[in-house]
Amino acid sequence: MTGFHLAADKRTTLEEAVAHVRDGATVALGGGLAARLPMALVRALVRQGTTGLRVVGSAHSIDVDLLVGAGAVAVCEESYVGFEQDLGLAPAFRRGAESGSLVVRESSCVTMLTQLRAAEMGVPFLPVRGLLGTDLPTLHPEWGTVTCPFTGQVLAAVPALAPDVALLHAPIGDTAGNLHLDQPYVLDERFAHASRVVVASVDRLVDTAEVVAAGVTVPAHVVTAVVEAPFGAHPTSCYPGYAYDRSHLAEYVKAAAAGGEAFEAYLDRYVRVDEQTYRDLTGAERLTAWSASDEQWQELFR
Amino acid sequence: MSTQSADGAQGWSLDEWFVVALARTVADGEVVFHGFASPCAQVAMHVARRTHAPGSMLVEGATYAVNPEPAFVPPTSNDLALHRDAVYRMRFEEFFDAACRGAVDRMFLSGGQIDAYGNTNVTAIGGMPHPKIKLGGGGGGANISATIGALTVWTTRHGSGRTLVEAVDFLTDLGHRTPAGTRAELGHTGGGPQWLVTELGVLDYTDDGRARLVATFPDVTVADVEKATGFALTVADDVGTVPEPTPAELAAVRAVDPLGVRRLEFGPADLARRFGPAA
Repeated sequence: MTGFHLAADKRTTLEEAVAHVRDGATVALGGGLAARLPMALVRALVRQGTTGLRVVGSAHSIDVDLLVGAGAVAVCEESYVGFEQDLGLAPAFRRGAESGSLVVRESSCVTMLTQLRAAEMGVPFLPVRGLLGTDLPTLHPEWGTVTCPFTGQVLAAVPALAPDVALLHAPIGDTAGNLHLDQPYVLDERFAHASRVVVASVDRLVDTAEVVAAGVTVPAHVVTAVVEAPFGAHPTSCYPGYAYDRSHLAEYVKAAAAGGEAFEAYLDRYVRVDEQTYRDLTGAERLTAWSASDEQWQELFR
Repeated sequence: MSTQSADGAQGWSLDEWFVVALARTVADGEVVFHGFASPCAQVAMHVARRTHAPGSMLVEGATYAVNPEPAFVPPTSNDLALHRDAVYRMRFEEFFDAACRGAVDRMFLSGGQIDAYGNTNVTAIGGMPHPKIKLGGGGGGANISATIGALTVWTTRHGSGRTLVEAVDFLTDLGHRTPAGTRAELGHTGGGPQWLVTELGVLDYTDDGRARLVATFPDVTVADVEKATGFALTVADDVGTVPEPTPAELAAVRAVDPLGVRRLEFGPADLARRFGPAA
C-alpha cells in the first residue's frame, strides 16, 4: 500500500481510469455474481487491450468471463465464475480452463477475505479455518499451515494479498471518491483498503452531502480515481437504480459459448463502442422499472 | 387447503416434493444458510420457516439478509428481491466469521460429484489442473463445510449415474472423511453431512460417515438407487418411502417460488414426475 489518496477531485475518463491497470497486474473486481460488477470499466479494459491479468475475488460471472474471452486474463483466482443455475457454466472461463490457456487457481470466499485482511493489517499471513483435506491447496503452493503457539492446533495459513488495482462500481459517489454502496458490499470494502490503487465508476456523481446522507461505504482517501458511468454495472444490477438484464446476459452467454466470430461480434457490438452507444443498444433504462411494483419486478426475471 | 398446482392439475410434482424433503432437514431453532446457485435449497429454507421451523434463523446466501420475506425468488442469488422485509443484512465478513467460529447450525451443499462420505466436487470433472469440464467453483464451501454444525447435501442428478461416485475428481467441500483423514484428525470443528437428499430418495450417514439410504420416492426402487450409485450403497433395514408433503408445505413451496426457479435444477424427465391423487 502506498498511503492515502488526498486529491479533492479525482474525476477522470474510463480510458484514463483503466490505464492504471498494466499488463500482468493483479486486479480485484468488485461486486458479486450478477450484482454491481464494474462492467463499464471491464469493457474499457478490453478496449485497452490489456493482457496477462491475474484476477482475484469471490463469486463472479460476466466480468471475469468477458475478460477471459477477450484474452485479458492469464490467471483466475476467484472462488466461483458462472451464471448459477439460470444460465449455467461460464463459457469463456470454461474453455480457457479446459484448453489450458487460462490458469485457474481456484480460491474460496473465506480464504480470499483472510488474505485481504492480512494485507490490510500489514501482517504477512493469517490462519484460516477449513481447507485442510480439500484439494484447493494443491492449486496454491503459496499456502501453508501454521501451528498455534498457544494451543498447538494446526491451521491452514494464507499469505497477505494486496491487489495492484481494485475496480469498483457504486450507485453514487462524489468527485473526491467517497462511495455509497447498497448491501451486500461483498468484498468491495476489503478490496478498497487492501489494494494499491482503487478505481471507481459511479452511476451518478453527486454532492458529498448526498453520499454522506446515504452513508459512505468506501471513503475517498482510499480511492485513486472516479469516473461517472451511468448504468456502469449493466448487464448486472446496481440497486437502487436497476435490476440485472437477464436477456442481455443470455445473449452474452450464447455468444461466449459459440466463441469465435460470434464472440467477436458481441465485442464489436457492445464492447468496442462508447458507453452511450452501449446504453442505447441494450435499452438499459427499462431495468429501472423494477421499483414500480412486485409484478413488474418479477417480469424482469421471466 | 387445496393441493392444486399452478397448472391446475391435482397432486404435486417431484420438484415440489424434493424441496419439501430438503426443508424437513431443517430443525426448528437452527441457524441455516444456503450458498449461491442453489435454488432448491433457497426455496426449501423459506418453506421450513413457514411450516415446521418458524423459530429458525435464515441467512439468505449471497445477500446475507436475515429472515427476509421475498415476494418471489429470482433466478440469481445476489438480488435485492431477496432482502425483502429483512430487519438486518449481515456483512460478508460477519456471516463468514460466524460460520467459521461455529455459530451457524446448517448449510445446504451440492456438487457435480458426491462420494460416500459426502465430500463434494464443484470445481472440475476430471480434476485440476487439466479439467475435462470446469465447473463454477465452490464459493466459501472449502472453509465453512469444515466448521458449520451440520450439512444437508443435495443433488437432482443422482439418476445420471455420474454424480454419486466412489471418489471425487477434486475435493472442494469436506464430508466426513477425506484421503487426508477424518474431520477430527484434520482439526475441523463442524459435524459434516447429516442428510443427502436426491431426486431418487433420502439418505443419512452411518457412524462411520458413509451415506445410507433411508427412503425412496414411490416411483423409485432400492435397486434403482443402487444402480445409480457409484459406491457400495448401505441400505437401512427399515427403508421406506419419503413421507408425502402436506398441503401446507405444498402451499408454502408455491407461495415462495412463483417463478419456479427450483425447476432450473431438474431435467425434463424429472420435471414430468407427478404424485398424488391424479398421478
